[in-house]
Amino acid sequence: MTAELESILREAFPEASEVRVTDRTGGGDHFLVEVTSPRFDGLPLLEQHRLVNEALAAPFASGRIHEMRIKTKGTA
Amino acid sequence: MSAELRERIKSVIETEPVALFMKGTPQFVMCGNSERALRALRGSGAPVTAVDVLPDPEIRQELSALSGWPTIPQVFIGGELVGGADIVQELAETGQLEQKLNEALGESYRDDAEERVVSVLVPA
Repeated sequence: MTAELESILREAFPEASEVRVTDRTGGGDHFLVEVTSPRFDGLPLLEQHRLVNEALAAPFASGRIHEMRIKTKGTA
Repeated sequence: MSAELRERIKSVIETEPVALFMKGTPQFVMCGNSERALRALRGSGAPVTAVDVLPDPEIRQELSALSGWPTIPQVFIGGELVGGADIVQELAETGQLEQKLNEALGESYRDDAEERVVSVLVPA
């Protein structure tokens, strides 16, 4: 699941300087998602998280993710 | 039924200075993320009006349809979506949450900041 989420994110954010998905509990359903991308530069946090949420909408809707923490950063 | 529920949710968002849609109540929090959001708001002295989304799954559906935000908790200040637990926590840590509260509610927002719980359930 971690690798699957990472590859979805890399596809959605090809310009990202960092994409990292961590299984927080080892149970395969609590994740920390970290994305650093120039696309976030100047965007409010809400919009940054919205982009990540949108990218992961399908796996999220599958019900396999219980919790997703998001950390986004611009590069500027 | 769901139209009325949506109206009730909307009314809470629009009329409450700070609305926190959460799992459980501030007295009995049922989820770590709701807990984080609540703690961040409390730390900033925000007057929190909490809505428990657990009594009816439709609350969550209608809320997400309204806000375009997929997860719980959701925090609104002055009628505007601020975000979920990660965002609110980050804003609190950088002092931006207090700044937002100041801007939306006025400098004296802490003065009579009390916590309350409201229900959006439509009586049967």
